[in-house]
This record gives sequence, structure tokens and C-alpha cells, in this order.
Amino acid sequence: MTSKFAVGVDIGGTFTDLVGFDLGTSRIVVTKAPSTPRELSGGIMECVRKSDIAIADMETLFHGSTVVINAIIERKGAKTGLLTTRGFRDVLEIGRGNRPANYDLFYDKPLPFVPRYLRFEVTERIAPDGAVIAPLDVAGLETVARAAREQQLEALAICFLHSYANESHEEQARERLQALLPGVFICTSSELVREWREFERSSTTVLNAFVGPNVESYIARLEEVTAQAGFGGQFYLMQSSGGVMTAARAKRYPVAMVESGPVAGMIGAAHIGTLLGARLVIGFDMGGTTAKCSLIEDGEPKVSQVYYVGGYVHGYPLQVPTTEVVEVGTGGGSLAWRDNLGALKVGPRSAGSEPGPVCIGAGGTEPTVTDANVLLGRINAARYLGGEMSLDVPAARRAMEESIAKPLGLSVEAAAAGVLTIANSNMALAVRAITIEKGVDPREATLIAFGGGGPLHAAAIARDIGIPRVVVPTLPACFSALGMLLADLRHDLVRTFVRPFPMQDCAEINGVISELRLDGVERLKSADVAEADIECSVHLDLRYAGQQWTLTTPVGGDTVSAKDAPAIRTAFNALYETRFGHSFTNIPSEVVNVRVIAIGRRPKPGFPPLAARKSGAPAVTHRSVNMGAGPANTPIYRREDLLCADRITGPAVIEEGSATTLVGPGDRAELSEHGFIVIHINKGNSA
Amino acid sequence: MNTPREQTLTQADPITLEVVRNALVAIVMEMTDNLIRTAYSPIAAEIKDFSIGLLDANGDSIAQAPNGVPMFCADLNATIKRGLEIYAEEGFADGDIILSNDTETNGQHVNNMAAYSPIVANGEVVAFAAVRSHWIDVGGVAVGSMPGNSRDIFSEGIQIPFMKVYRAGKPDESVLRLIKTNSRFPELVMGDMRAQISACRLGEQRFLDLIKRYGRDAVMACIHRIWDEAETVARAAVTKIPDGTYEAACVLDNDGLNLDKPIPLKVKVVIAGSDMTIDFSGMSPPVQGPFNSRASGTIARVAFKYLTTPQMAITEGGFRNLKIVCPEGTILSAPPTAPMSWFNMAVVSTIDLVLRAVQPAMPDAITAGSADNIGMSHISGIDPRTGRVFQTFAPFLGGWGARPNGDGPSAVVSLVQGDVRFMPIEVQETVTPIRVLEFGLHNDSGGPGRYRGGLGIVLGREVLTDAEFHGRFERTKDAPWGFAGGKPGVVTHSVFRHEGQPDRPAPLKCEGMPLKKGDQEFSYTSGGGGIGLPWTRDPERVRNDVLNGYVSIDAAREQYGVVLNKASLDIDETATVARRRILNSKEPT
Repeated sequence: MTSKFAVGVDIGGTFTDLVGFDLGTSRIVVTKAPSTPRELSGGIMECVRKSDIAIADMETLFHGSTVVINAIIERKGAKTGLLTTRGFRDVLEIGRGNRPANYDLFYDKPLPFVPRYLRFEVTERIAPDGAVIAPLDVAGLETVARAAREQQLEALAICFLHSYANESHEEQARERLQALLPGVFICTSSELVREWREFERSSTTVLNAFVGPNVESYIARLEEVTAQAGFGGQFYLMQSSGGVMTAARAKRYPVAMVESGPVAGMIGAAHIGTLLGARLVIGFDMGGTTAKCSLIEDGEPKVSQVYYVGGYVHGYPLQVPTTEVVEVGTGGGSLAWRDNLGALKVGPRSAGSEPGPVCIGAGGTEPTVTDANVLLGRINAARYLGGEMSLDVPAARRAMEESIAKPLGLSVEAAAAGVLTIANSNMALAVRAITIEKGVDPREATLIAFGGGGPLHAAAIARDIGIPRVVVPTLPACFSALGMLLADLRHDLVRTFVRPFPMQDCAEINGVISELRLDGVERLKSADVAEADIECSVHLDLRYAGQQWTLTTPVGGDTVSAKDAPAIRTAFNALYETRFGHSFTNIPSEVVNVRVIAIGRRPKPGFPPLAARKSGAPAVTHRSVNMGAGPANTPIYRREDLLCADRITGPAVIEEGSATTLVGPGDRAELSEHGFIVIHINKGNSA
Repeated sequence: MNTPREQTLTQADPITLEVVRNALVAIVMEMTDNLIRTAYSPIAAEIKDFSIGLLDANGDSIAQAPNGVPMFCADLNATIKRGLEIYAEEGFADGDIILSNDTETNGQHVNNMAAYSPIVANGEVVAFAAVRSHWIDVGGVAVGSMPGNSRDIFSEGIQIPFMKVYRAGKPDESVLRLIKTNSRFPELVMGDMRAQISACRLGEQRFLDLIKRYGRDAVMACIHRIWDEAETVARAAVTKIPDGTYEAACVLDNDGLNLDKPIPLKVKVVIAGSDMTIDFSGMSPPVQGPFNSRASGTIARVAFKYLTTPQMAITEGGFRNLKIVCPEGTILSAPPTAPMSWFNMAVVSTIDLVLRAVQPAMPDAITAGSADNIGMSHISGIDPRTGRVFQTFAPFLGGWGARPNGDGPSAVVSLVQGDVRFMPIEVQETVTPIRVLEFGLHNDSGGPGRYRGGLGIVLGREVLTDAEFHGRFERTKDAPWGFAGGKPGVVTHSVFRHEGQPDRPAPLKCEGMPLKKGDQEFSYTSGGGGIGLPWTRDPERVRNDVLNGYVSIDAAREQYGVVLNKASLDIDETATVARRRILNSKEPT
């Protein structure tokens, strides 16, 4: 019997992960190969070869990659120009004029991706309401084209003022310039995002142009390599929003892929939360250098409309919907060190994958979080990464002793436990930031832990802030690749449309809504999504007149009518009340943006049910593990030995291929029907 | 290693210390987030014009939120300490909220209102949670309570001198009525006050949680250890500065009332070992217009941070080696009745002046003079589309001074404004009846030097209705200074433009000058000062500046002595050598 597969491939810094799902039998296939930075398709094809899945049997191939964000951070992209409205070529360089690093005399704004001499101006002007104040000087574009040729530009971004309200000038300019400059990657701001704020929109357009030519050829190369190997299915790319898009779109709009890696895991966490009937979920992903967390409510990760590549202080804004991820510089490779006053610190400096933790024996000399876990027996030194690698525990001990324990007058065990206490408390602060600090009660939440280190630290973090339940899903260490298989096609459409709300006459706003909807439906249909699988939701960004804050308020239906408008306003008041603790009924409100989210539903792989135990108990061995209160002989389980409804009371350790789950003293772990480890946290314990 | 530190170290184990350190910062961050989310007026969210902290029972700063504007640096201490004096007998009860903007202690414009609450454990005050925030209106002659031409504090608004608005958790309705009655926007102001109170309550709760978890003694031991560490770091930083007495002076244009009378500012900095004294005795006496303050402490601490420990968290311990000298009767120690609405004009130049004074001692660490302004001139009127009052708001963007090893950034806010952001043109044009004609860099405005000052901006606007113009520019007479032979930046000027007519100069300071529909005003703001002789600048950098239009081809020749071919922009080596020789010989030594 031939099976059809859905396959997700996630390219990380060190490894490329592949997760294949047999759509017939629900069997899951996992392979891993070293990433091949120079020719990324090499790592992918190696994974495919190892997987025993015939490439012709792949129905869908999902791909997430750091190729876009790396190109931006390393500034390796096309020679790019920018065309603006006359008088505004410096918007990209001025930015918002802020200096977000207090007391730093040497703060530098991020360097623009287009230097001033490659920023061109043309006469044209559109008013905030879309009216044409000055027509586009089409003849003036000849000069621009000549300069672009002289400078041998490979890409050109076009961003005119108020083009969100009227895209015609950008479209005309693109048409003329593309004719004059064949082979140059040209994009307009209005095809990417129809939202106001000219600096953020210019930055988005410029970055899209900058990475455009390279990403276009990267995707084309992948298509070519896979097609040659016999692939005939659909090829999708993961977007920062948590949805996927077709390869054809990804080639035109690569900035939508900036955060494609980390986001996939959060989509997986959302899906698992829904399977378990959890309304409030925290996705927690701990890797080698950082830990990331996201809040997921009712199966939807929070999505923000602006994202800063490289962080807010030194980074570049993108008006691209991005799953909100709070990140903290604590991972398995984070270094434990003492500052020049002797205080103990953990991270954000990291040993990364090279040299890695001391115990790996690859040249690391400073102790890391992983070394601390090994020294306390929490990680099994004999079975690291499924036994592929033997660990040098004495070296880790020496490093911990010399740099931390001796100077602080502690035993090696106490030092290692201290390092983990600090690491856990740093990560707990990040989880607090997305819950308690946003008015979300963690006592109602479920924490879903993945990444290499997530299952090892999750219980301690949950206990610290009062989260009652931790879930370790199937394949926690390659959960991002798995998460991709659970994503839908998604297109976020937006139009800035500033009007008093509710309005008397809704014809105009409904016109905007139906235009956005049509656009979304068309994009999905061109990706072969059947009409029945398309869902569109309409949202309005509303605010009180005179305020800057907007809240995205669901409309409920497909259109706005004078009759429902007051109900939408009431819903906005209620959202405002939840978020800010008060609301106004007597202050007029305004709509700022109209949003349509068009989703193309895809069939989701179902997790194979875990068989129930007929008799007996799971196999157990014992080894000395220090859970914080000193070394103790502790039960150790193999995850593959566990069956549905098996129960384990902590302290205990559950080991699998490349992850270790820690069940703290008094915690109760149970295997769910889908094969997830569900840990009920013992509140009274504070290890 | 001194003895007290070893003592506290034994009390605070290194692991608890690290956890408590991070938790304290997390508390003030959470208070900030709470304030931003619950404040009614957009000032907290958009301008971050607030100061949020935890202070100990003596009013010493435990932690301050790092994401407010840099203007406010460990400046809640004075308010708490004065409150302790006032309520020495009555004391504080759990649930009290004290409100104050009294200028004698606060020393800033009356918009800045502090609310704070005692944190009580086992019947004893263990700390305070405090939030000061800019209120949008507290009465007085001008909408927004910041007139440019006031002559006393009473015309700027009402003062609330350390009044308990809540006693043991119960509001004092009579005080609340008084406040509400004295603002043009009572809902916004009362809403902001409630947001401040809610942030204080949150701070109380979180601090008590921390004490409950680790014990009061352990937490206090950690705090003392953090202070001692901060002192060690701050002392090490000052020790690196050579001992000596350093002075600098500059002038402000005028006080907004007496337009021909410049205001002299003068600072003296004494470095002795690990101690720094900042002395404001030489400052101008108080002025008639609203440029006064009692902000010498704030100014000194902000300057000290810039000079010594920019990255370190703000705590009491970080300022133990800073001594501030400011006798009564200067523009920074004005009588509490003096007008103060534009106090920050003097603040920003004075901070830059402290940096300038110390520059000879630490030339590698100080940037040249910056534009040192706060806001762009603004336009107000009635929006014909809505019939409502409109007012433009824009922070001043200008050039930052050159750095010892590179060019200054262009088009940035002043050194007290931090993360204040310029409103997008597309938003401005939507919410106010103005059209922006130009928004770009002010070419040739950066002070020439081996390293060039940053550029100012050009902002050209047309009013689409009859309106009023309010001039708000400063430091146009004493330009942003250069160092080591670097030239000053070009100063701000402003013009009215009518098609077919020559430009007319627009006033740099004025109140409510009428504009007609269709009038156009263009502001050209100051660039930063340069560092090093301009004709020692790498010709390739000059060529690059000309290529990008930051520097004109004429200025390249005149100022930098770099002669370029007009068409190709190639460097004419021979002509450049000759021109540079001339420039060098002209320089007085």
C-alpha cells in the first residue's frame, strides 16, 4: 500500500529536522541531518534520504527557514534603491527620531538598508483620504530608471505617502519602471501592507526588496531540486503569522517569512491545547541559546502587527503580522559566570553549538546550564541525545568547581543547583511577562513545553508562577517541524481607513471589507484551496477619538451594518475594559484599520492513539538525581515504554531520544490518549 | 574589600541575590506596563513622561523603571523624603496614597504629579511605591498648563502639596473634588491618577510577595548589597577620570519674555579620587519667564549617568559618590513661586554643559554638543472638519554631536527624551489640518570636523485652515559646540514661505502668532558639533558625504578642503592638498 505523506522541514543553525506524517496510518517519521549553510537544499535532501519516505509520496512539503532573517542580520542581500514622494526620501533614515537606549551617548540608529544616494524622489502626492493632490510625474521616472541602471540596482522598493489609501501611483510607477528595468526585483509598499505609518511601511518594503532576489532564487532552487527528485505535491512556506503560503507568494513577499522557525512550534502548541480542551495555553520553547514563550488563547496565538528584526532598540520595523514571542537569553548553552563584583549570572552569553557545553568535550571551558543539569544527574550522561554522544562529566565538574563553586564557597552540587535556580527564575520572569503582567491568571493555564530543554525546566517554572499543568508533547525536540504540519494557509489583509465609528452610512467600509475579502479568497483559490475550506474573519482596529491605542475588535459577521455597529462598539468597550481596567461609553470612537484574515483550512494529521496498558507497570530503573534537595535514588522511565493512562508520581525522570522530562517531587505525570505527558504540578513544593 | 560588603554578602546568598535583583527590576517594569495600559491620556504611552520606582523606608531608591524618559533619574527620593518630614508625626498607614506636585520639592512644571504609597509589613513601613506622571492639564492660563510666557507658577496651574488622597484605603472625596475642579480635562486627569494609584498598589503587592518568599531581612540584605555593588561600579568609573576642576558655560537665547536677554549657564565639575561634585553656583539667577526649576539634582544625576554608568540599573547606591552644589537663587534653584513650565529647556543644555566641562578629562568618552532642544514649534487652531481644538505635537529632532571616533547621529531627540517618537507624517496629516511639504535632513547643518556632527531636519508645513503658530526654539545664539578644532553645528532657523515671494523669517519664540490658510512654514533645525579639524577628515568620507548630499560640494571645499570633480565626484588630489594647506595655515593656534 502506498502512503501519502505530509512533511515538515525546519532548517536550524546546526541541524535540519524533518518530520513526516503518514496520512494513511498516522505513523510519524523523524530524521535529522546537519544543516548545510552554503547549499541549504543539501541538508533537506539528506533528511529526505534518511527518512525512507519516497519523495513522490509527499503530498505536501512545509518549510520554515532562517534564510530571510539571516540575510537581514548579516546584511547580505541585493543592491537596493528606494523611490519616494518628493520631499520624503529621508524618512527611511530619520525613522522616528527616538533613542531607545537611555544614557548611552554612543547610541546609533540602525543603518538604513538603502543609502541616501540610492533614494530617489518623484513628484506625486496623495491625501490621507486617497484623493490625488498632485499626479504622478511619469516622465520623471525615466530619470530614476537611468540612475538605477547606472548604479546597477538589483532591487527597488517604492513607497509613496498615503499609498494605503490609494495605491494607483505606486502601481503606475511600478509598471513603468518594471518596463524600463527588466530583471530588477521591484515591490511597492501597497502590495505588501496597506497600513499607515510611512517609516514602518518603507522599512518593510525596503527589506522585502533587499532579500527578494536571493530568496526568490533560493525557493526556485528548492523547487527545482525536489521536482527533479520526483516531488509533485504542494510546497508551502511558513509565515511569521503562523500560517503558511505558497512558494509562488513567498518569492514575491519574503519578509512574511522572517520568524518562520520559532512560530511553527507555537502553532503546534496551540493545536495540542485545543486537543486537550485547554482554553489558556503558554507555549514554552527552550533551545540552546534562548527560551521563548507565547500566550495562546482559545487556540489562537497572539499576533502583533509590528515586528522589529534585531529587537526594538537596534532593529528594523516590519509591518508584518507576527506571532508574539517573548524571548529571554537562557538556554541549555547559556554560560554561568561571575561579574567583576563576584555576583553569579546565567546568560545571556551562550556557548552556542560551538564550542557548546563543557561536557560535550568540544572545547568549552565555561560551565553552562546543560553542564549543571548533567552534574545533578538530571540529564543522563550515558544517554545524551539518545546515546549518540558520551559526556565528559569530570570536565563539567572541574569547570563548575573552578569558575563558580570555589569562588562562591559552595559545593559543586550547590553551585549547579544555584545556576539552575537562576536560569529557571529568569525564564519564569519571561512567562510572567506574558501572563500575570498582562492580567492573565496563570492558575488557569497549561504550559506546553518543547525544544531540547523545555521538558527539563518546565515543571520548575510552572511551580514558580502557579501554573497547575505542564504538557510535554510528542517529539518535543523537533516540535517546530511537527508544528508546521498543523498550520493552515493564512493571509492577513489590512487597509487603513480612518473614520468615526459607528458611521451612519456603512457602504464605504463594506466596500473596503469586500475588496479585502476578495483579495484573500483569490489568494487562497490560486493555492488550490476549495471554497468550502475558506474562512474569512473581519476585524476593525478601533480606538477612542484622541487616543493612540487601537484594539482589534472582531466584527462577527461579513459586513458592518448600522444595526450591528453599536454591538461592535460595545464589544470594543468590553475588550478595552479587560485590557485596561476601564472603558468609556461617552467618548466617540474611530475605526483606524480594517482587517480581514483569510484562512484556508487544511486537514491536520491526527496523533496516533497511544495503546492502554493491559497489565503490569512500565519498566523502571533508578539512578542518583539531585532535584534540589540533595542527591536521591530516583526512578527513571523510558518514554517509549509508557502507555496511555500510565501514572508516575515525582520525583521521576522520563527519558527519550533527545529530550528529558523532569517530574518534580510530588508532581503527578500521566500519559494522555494522544501520547502526551501531562504533569499536574504539586503546588506545595518549591524545588 | 571593605567590611560592610562582606557582611551583607554573608546575609544574601549569591543565588537569592541574583533572583531578588531580577525580581526588583521586574516589579518596576510591571508597574510601568500597568501605568501605560491604564492611563487615560496618551502621554504615558506615547511620550513615556513618567518616573516609576520602589524606594526604601528612608526614601532611597531601590529600583527605577528603565523605560521612562532619561530626564527623570532617581528623582523620586526628594519627594518621599519630604513627605517623611511632613508626616513625621501622623505617619503612614497601609492604604494611604500621597499626591504631590509641589514645586518646592518637585522642582519641575506642575504637570508632573507624583503619587506614592507606603508598603506596610507587620505594621511597619518597609518601603514606598511611587509613580510620577505628566498630567495633561492642571489649570492655569494655557490649555495643557504649559504657557510659553508665564510670569509665575500660579498662572501655570494648581499645586497639590503632599496631600493624602487616600487614607488607609479610603478616598478623601473633598481633595479629589478639588483636583477634578481645577483641570480642563477632569476625566483624563482623574483617570491618570487612578492609573498611578493602581500601579503603586501593584508595586506594594509584588514587593510584599518578595518579602514573604525570601524574608524581609534577606531582601533588605540583597538591596544593600546591590547598592554597595552600584557604589563600587560608580566609584571605579569616576576614578578613571583624572582629578581636577572642570568648567563650561553657554547661553540660552532668552526666557520667552525678554527676547533680547540671553541667559548664562555655567557649571563646575570637581573630580577628586572616586568622588564627583557638580556645582551649579555659577548659573544665571532665576529668570522672569518659565525657564526656571529646582531640578539641579535631576540634572546632575542624568549627567552623572551619561558620564559614568550608562548601563547600570538606577539605585541609590549608584550616586553615593556624587555631590551636588546648588545654592538657592539660581535658575535651577528658583523660588517655588517662579514660572517653570518650560524648565526642561535649561535642563537639557545644562546636562550637555556638564559633559562639555569634563570633556578635556575624558575626550574619548564624550560626544560634541548636540541640538539641545525639546519640541518643534507647534501649530494650533480649530479643525474645520470637526469643530474641535487641534494642536500639533512633535519632539524636536536635531543633530547629535560627533563622537571621538565617528560621526554624530542625525535627526534624533535630545539627551533627556530617549524613546520619545516623532509622529508619522501620515498620522499628523490625518489628525490635524496641516499638510507636510517636506520632511528630510538639513543638509550642511552638521558641524564640520574630522568627525562630523549629525544633521538637523527640515520640516515644511502648510496650514489648511486659519491657525496659530507657537515658536519653541532655543539655543540659536550659542551653537552646539565642537571639540578639538571641530566646528559648531548650524543653528535652527525658521521661515514663512509664499510662492513667488522671498522667504520671511519666522519667530523662533512666540505665542499664538496668527497664520492664514495656505501659509507655509519651514523649520531647519540645528546640527551637532564636530570633533577634530575638518581638513583632517578622511577625504573619502567627505566624498561619501557629498555623494549622499549631507555636505555640499562647496562646503567640502570651503570647510573640509576636499576638492571634488563636479560631475564624477572624484577627489582632485592636488587641489585638495593645496586647499587643505591654506585652511591649516589660517587656523589660529
